[in-house]
Amino acid sequence: MIEVERLSKLYHSARAVDRVSFGVGRGEIVGLLGPNGAGKTTTMRMLTTFLAPTSGRAVLSGHDVLDEPLEVRKKVGYLPENVPLYPEMRVREYLNYRSRLKDVPRSRRRAAVDGVLERCKLVDVESRVLGHLSKGYRQRVGLAEAMVHDPDILVLDEPTAGLDPMQIREVRALIRELGERHTIVLSTHIMSEVEAVCGRVIMIVKGKVALDDRLDHLQTQSAIIIEARGPAPAIRKALEATPGVKRVGLTDHQGDVARFEVQALDDADLREDLARRVVQNGWALRVLDLRRSSLEERFVRAVRDASIARDAESEYPTGTEAA
Amino acid sequence: MRHIPTLLRRELASYFLGPMALLVVLAFQAIALLNFWELVESLARNNVGYSGLRDPLNTYISGSPPFWIGMLVAIPALTMRLVAEERRSGTIEPLLTAPVTEVEVVVSKWLAGVGMYLVLLVPFALYLPFLYYQGHYNFDVGPVVSLGIGLSTMGMMFVAIGLFFSSLTRNQIVAAVLTFATVFMMIVLSSAGYAYATYRRAAWAEAIQFVSILHQASTFGTGQLDLRFLSLHLSVAVLMLYLTVKVLEYRREG
Repeated sequence: MIEVERLSKLYHSARAVDRVSFGVGRGEIVGLLGPNGAGKTTTMRMLTTFLAPTSGRAVLSGHDVLDEPLEVRKKVGYLPENVPLYPEMRVREYLNYRSRLKDVPRSRRRAAVDGVLERCKLVDVESRVLGHLSKGYRQRVGLAEAMVHDPDILVLDEPTAGLDPMQIREVRALIRELGERHTIVLSTHIMSEVEAVCGRVIMIVKGKVALDDRLDHLQTQSAIIIEARGPAPAIRKALEATPGVKRVGLTDHQGDVARFEVQALDDADLREDLARRVVQNGWALRVLDLRRSSLEERFVRAVRDASIARDAESEYPTGTEAA
Repeated sequence: MRHIPTLLRRELASYFLGPMALLVVLAFQAIALLNFWELVESLARNNVGYSGLRDPLNTYISGSPPFWIGMLVAIPALTMRLVAEERRSGTIEPLLTAPVTEVEVVVSKWLAGVGMYLVLLVPFALYLPFLYYQGHYNFDVGPVVSLGIGLSTMGMMFVAIGLFFSSLTRNQIVAAVLTFATVFMMIVLSSAGYAYATYRRAAWAEAIQFVSILHQASTFGTGQLDLRFLSLHLSVAVLMLYLTVKVLEYRREG
């Protein structure tokens, strides 16, 4: 459905999006996750043809964003950040206007507008002026507008920003429902949103893809938390020596109590082995826990790794870049 | 081009739902009323010889200072928000991600502006039948028609200029100031320049007279539908529309 290859966007000389590549299949709900200013909005604007990429290419529904922008626009429904609307128009009037711009045939227009009003629960406010609507309703009008021409692909930029918890639940439920019929790319900087809605997550940090994986795959990755009383370096060495351990990280150290995060090879459950190790060495075991590593940790790690990589890159420019 | 009626309707609706257009229309209605009053007064005076620039109908519209001062204010007021407001509020994003072309957007905004401009002229035309049938002042209809055509093409040019400046910025005030400065040059400075040039007997007097809006309007007012002026107006309008399309296209490059 969406093919993105080495897509880049330069603003003046700053790289907002840097050689981003990913593909999205039909019916997938993909979350673009990243800190503010990471390049999510710029990426989405290139997908929706609002901005032209500096280099690279993006093909949506078989149409290239540079060669056939009008065809792409027909296949894509877009909810821009902050949902800009004409304040003087009324809800139904606006949806009618947009459906005309989007070439919904006259015979189907009324049904299409009625349909999205129904699905986005806007029937009660259909004759209200857009400028007087609450943030939640504006968001729903934006969603209704994005899907009024029944596009293959929905691109939603921060669909739940600025909503209260109840509205967020409603909008998420709506997006999940839409996912049955449309391919959806949504952006957010809220981790739990991705976990609640998406099947796959693409992390974008400083304009680059830092992680691209299925959510169920991410969630099976687990970590063992161990807290023990004793000398931290010695405990660490002992833990590392346990067969099947991939990585040991010291996460906290207070007084003579140290806390470690242990990652096992192939996600094996090493809790018993590790506990035996600690106890055999005569250290007091205070906490032993198996935890699914949360998306948040992955996120923080990805952001950290990316900034380290970026610093290294800028300090030691590689030959190709110097040339 | 099939989206133009839809886009045009929205533009016109937003004109009439905002206060600016209504205020401008009201102001022009007042100017028309006062000028008509003055016209009737001057016609009621007997034994005054009229000719050329002193033609009463010429004084009614094209020779009337309030009319041109009104124009100077009305053109920026009507055109400043056309694109600038879409850029400021962000509605340009849904607009230009719908399957419409930049040409369609620009042409419909321009048509809406021209439509509003023509609405401003309507009150002036409305009074004339009363003068003709009620007042039995059988003026020549030809000059009125040629003045109408000339003022219309002039408006097409003015609105295109305002639209262009509006596309350059997200700040309506900046757009209005740039438009005002340009229209001011075309209306006021060109006439002042012409006066100065004739005083100095300079060779460029004729050139500046050609581009002087007041001179053009008085020519139309005397019944000469000078095609050179019409083609000047229309070619400036087309150039400005082309530049506006280019500005919107260039925006995609970021």
